[in-house]
Amino acid sequence: MTRTDEELVARSQSGDVDSFNQLIVRWERPIYALAYRVLGREEDARDVCQDTFLRAYRALPGFKGQAKFSSWLYRIALNLCRDWIRRQQRAPVSQIPEDVDPAELLAEREPTESIEDLVARRELSAIVAEAMKSLSDEQRTAIILKEYHGMTFQEIADMQGCPLSTVKTRLYQGLSQLRRQLERRGHGMPELVKRT
Amino acid sequence: MSLTFECGDKNALVAYLYEECEPELRDVISGHLTRCDACSNEIDGLGWTRRRLEVWTPPMPELGFQMPVPVQDARLPWWRAPMPAWAQAVAALLIFGVGLSVGLARGPAPAPQVSSNPPAASAEPAPTNGPTRTDLAQLEERLKSEIAQMRSATPVRQVVPASDEDVMKKVEALLAQSEERQRREFTLRTVEMARDFETQRRIDMASVREAVGQFQGVTGTEIRQQREAIDRINSLIRVGQQGR
Repeated sequence: MTRTDEELVARSQSGDVDSFNQLIVRWERPIYALAYRVLGREEDARDVCQDTFLRAYRALPGFKGQAKFSSWLYRIALNLCRDWIRRQQRAPVSQIPEDVDPAELLAEREPTESIEDLVARRELSAIVAEAMKSLSDEQRTAIILKEYHGMTFQEIADMQGCPLSTVKTRLYQGLSQLRRQLERRGHGMPELVKRT
Repeated sequence: MSLTFECGDKNALVAYLYEECEPELRDVISGHLTRCDACSNEIDGLGWTRRRLEVWTPPMPELGFQMPVPVQDARLPWWRAPMPAWAQAVAALLIFGVGLSVGLARGPAPAPQVSSNPPAASAEPAPTNGPTRTDLAQLEERLKSEIAQMRSATPVRQVVPASDEDVMKKVEALLAQSEERQRREFTLRTVEMARDFETQRRIDMASVREAVGQFQGVTGTEIRQQREAIDRINSLIRVGQQGR
């Protein structure tokens, strides 16, 4: 039987570490993905992911369930990312492998995808990662939370501590900026698709 | 939320794009988009950009981080818990003791009956009613071997007293390790940056020195050539004056 987050949190709060470990298994990948997209480095994302769960465990007795457990976890992760960037005093750097292992490529390939398509997808992925760096931290975070974590405007507003309208503005401006960046890198919207 | 839509209202367009607006407002905006090229192009462009974002997938390494589980949480019900070694030994002694007392209570084994007939050439001992000392010794041996088997089959977990406090201490230690690792990494990067900067500075200085040296060399050669030319002219003038 699959337990809900709330049930696992309650059990964890009463000292059941196994339940907390189940929460880790459930949420470690989304938290890692969030940290990776914000920080842009695999090992940094891994460290932030681990720290997130350690801090969450330490703060668990104080968690009263006002927010969803996942939102609480995301907030801890985002705060850690912010601290990390501040401490490192550097812009997020995307880790783009210089040499590509063909075996790795084959393993990553979708069943219906040709190698050429896969290479193109990876290239575009790297371009998107680069384009994301041109956004402000707030715009980038808003887009990441919306696009990759499916949060509502209200959840993002709570997470970023800003009004709902600000979230919409950040999303609009961020997407527009991304569009321009992609166009500049030769990945703009084809004319045929545009309505006239 | 207002159900009126003004052409070019970016917040409303974003809400429409992410399908987070009232159904009535959505209908209003949909109707507007059929008439307004600017807004429909805007929505198309934003949607296109969103689709580009789908390809950005992070590498997903094996994570598998787990909190240390305290021993008390792994406790089994008493009837399923493995018996500690001392309890097994006590049980064995108890069984042995009971067996021994039963054996003694039944008295010594009856003496073999004397028969007028010569004993059969058989080494079979005479049957007895109770267990003999040999039986008890065998029982002891069997119990010992069974206990030894039980020990090897069910390893007794070392009970380490652990509590929430211990777990928190472990968490604190892990956090401290993590922070220390981050600090070390930061220091390492700073040192690397400083080293790179120093190397670059030295290269730049060497280039500047080389350039200045070349310039000085060129200048010196030119001056020397000019002096030689002047000397030649002077000597020609002198020769000319002497010839007059």
